[in-house]
Amino acid sequence: VSNIPKRITLEEWDLRYEQLEKAGIYQPYYGGPLSRHVEDGDQRLLKLSYDNSAAALRLWNFLLTEEDRLHEARAAGKNIVGTMKDLGTVPVMAYCFENIVAFYPDGAWWIPCVMELGAGLLEIADSLGIDESFCPVRAMLGAFVTGAHFPIPDMLLCSVGATCDDFSAIAQRLNGLGHTIFWWEIPHRRKPDSNEATVNLPGGFSAPKSQVEFVKSQLVRIKAALEELAVEKIDERKLSAGIKKANQVRRCLSELRQLAFTAELCPMPALEMLIAEMLAIHFCSDRQETINVLKELLDEVTFRVRTGKGILDADAARIFWVNPVADLQVMNLLEDCGGRICGTEYLFTHALDIIPEDLPPLEALAQMALADPMAGSSIDRAERICADIRRFGAEAALISRIPGASHCGLEGRVISEIVRERFDIPVLEIEVPPVTDSMRPTVRTRLEALVETVKARPRAK
Amino acid sequence: MKTIIYTCPYVPAEWIAANGLRASRLLLDHAESASALARTEGVCPFVRSFIGEVMNNTHAAGVVVTTICDQMRRAFDILVRKCELPSFLMNVPNTWQILESQKLYIEELKRLSRFLTGLGGKSPSNDSLAKLMLEYDTARASILSARDYLSAGRYAKAIAAIGRDGPDKTFDYDTAAEPVIGGVRLAMIGGPLMKQDFALFDMIEQSGGRIVLDASETGERGLCARFDRRRLRDDPVMELADAYFSGIQDASRRPNSELYKWFKGELTSRKVQGIIFRRYLWCDMWHAELSRLKDFSDLPVLDIDTAGDNNIEQQRTLNRIRAFLEMLQ
Repeated sequence: VSNIPKRITLEEWDLRYEQLEKAGIYQPYYGGPLSRHVEDGDQRLLKLSYDNSAAALRLWNFLLTEEDRLHEARAAGKNIVGTMKDLGTVPVMAYCFENIVAFYPDGAWWIPCVMELGAGLLEIADSLGIDESFCPVRAMLGAFVTGAHFPIPDMLLCSVGATCDDFSAIAQRLNGLGHTIFWWEIPHRRKPDSNEATVNLPGGFSAPKSQVEFVKSQLVRIKAALEELAVEKIDERKLSAGIKKANQVRRCLSELRQLAFTAELCPMPALEMLIAEMLAIHFCSDRQETINVLKELLDEVTFRVRTGKGILDADAARIFWVNPVADLQVMNLLEDCGGRICGTEYLFTHALDIIPEDLPPLEALAQMALADPMAGSSIDRAERICADIRRFGAEAALISRIPGASHCGLEGRVISEIVRERFDIPVLEIEVPPVTDSMRPTVRTRLEALVETVKARPRAK
Repeated sequence: MKTIIYTCPYVPAEWIAANGLRASRLLLDHAESASALARTEGVCPFVRSFIGEVMNNTHAAGVVVTTICDQMRRAFDILVRKCELPSFLMNVPNTWQILESQKLYIEELKRLSRFLTGLGGKSPSNDSLAKLMLEYDTARASILSARDYLSAGRYAKAIAAIGRDGPDKTFDYDTAAEPVIGGVRLAMIGGPLMKQDFALFDMIEQSGGRIVLDASETGERGLCARFDRRRLRDDPVMELADAYFSGIQDASRRPNSELYKWFKGELTSRKVQGIIFRRYLWCDMWHAELSRLKDFSDLPVLDIDTAGDNNIEQQRTLNRIRAFLEMLQ
């Protein structure tokens, strides 16, 4: 079996799968050929390019079987908790319970892409008055109505306050349809006044101690609600153990990102890296398996870097990517155009930062929640992006606007201005809808222009 | 006296005044919407106008922005970077059912006070705050009591005027000797109106209708609750916070069930026959409520959206209002 890293099609994966199976690769319980997921309606898979490693196969299969895991958890009598919006904090607590499985219904925003609009979720959202002027996360409403993409959770928790209006409004619409929601608040993170006690948050932001205390009070409420649901008390020991587990995931991702974004040859495609990062927010409904999947991926990347192997040319333009894309294919497109990802800010960098283990657990989690880049100013977010551009040596920044998202109208302007003030690098904004097919030439042209601009400039040593 | 400008109804004018500064709630102008931002795709016209107005304002000593709307929160970032006017971002919680949210609101008032002190204001005493609260309360009450004797447009302007100018200017609108009656009884609900939008009231009257409930943010819905005189004497800060934070119902609240409770009561008591839903393009908070409102009420609902260009939209809006009223008459 050839182990030369490359990007391959789904069809090619079937052939490679047979070879790997014959060679006796380890198959987890959810393993199997990738193409079987197309039968579930995931048509977009036919148009994507994939890394050809066994580690990538495991990653994809893990991602694409989450719905099965959630149904199995329900059948096994576990409580399903839908955590919404905070992206990475509440699941750390929820997975401390023996009989709770938590996931983000927000993830439904990728269903219109993966099923190439075939699920009809956006039409359902339209019929509920949530039209295309809202962010594609409106697909979540459709998913709740059909009940076809995840089991309806036993409890819904949603963070509000310093969040985007789209999500808050859509969650309220969901509430109006009869789904009870436990609302909790994350205030806008502000700079401490000169005479205020200050807390330095993971990731480099700071906040007044009073704000950390406020968020902690919210987490105390959530803990009590989860305890009531699970009929189980969790003490500090269990919470600390949960934080340590979450940190295993985060450390693994930190190494993975450092290696993938700084290696001379790009060792892992952008799409697989995006999915790997996503696992941090709720562990794809299986925390231990997330650790296993990421370890295998890290081993593969480490091996490739050590042996000088990669999937793209050495002169690929090094791009820092801001915001997640609603159409996964655009990550492939960047590489087709001669770019590679060297740094990302997919709106959940706080879910990648190490949670302090030397603090009372709820205080540590409160710090994590407040470290959310979306909870603070766009200026803060831009500063963190600049720090990571420097760290990963990116040669350009690409801001991917989310159609209709309340934050994208103004923050892209702030971020691009600050990046330009700090670095002599090109910055480009594109808008990515759930399925880009009709505007692919436009997106492609813009990406090509960015890559060409980068390549025309002398590369920093 | 130095002036502090703001638009959000959760900013208590009394608090700014008690800090020794003049509070002026901006009535925005559509014309400002194009002046400040080169690229405006996805930005609500009200936020665009707000940025433009603040950046061009040469009289104010400071501006207060709140967090009840994400785009306003982002607008604050633009102001911090592009505008020399001292600016303050006040955290107004979306949740309201828990004590911690109310405490946070009060803490934010205290922080606002420190900001105002830095601009030349003074820390408010309970006595001075209570006195100002009484003045504002009395002025608001006199406007509210004149509601049935004013045209809807004049009533809306009177409410806007107290926000802009304060209570010291006498309420001098001529009121009719008899209550204003006639026309199809309508409610208008939505976010804040801008200057040019006040023409809507006349437009509606000329088409055979009358707004008997202005539930826009700049209308009655944006007024705080009446103060309790005894609590006002005992603990004016607490009473102020309660009247504003608990007394103003908004789409941004989570949950926002109290908005609907309040609205339902007002629709019934004022015998409303139809609802005009006024919203800005890209305002997700209100847009998402449109379908819910239709589910909630048996009354017909007319959606009037605006992208901020009055010249283009005026005729379309007029036609829609006329058609709506024809159906109701």
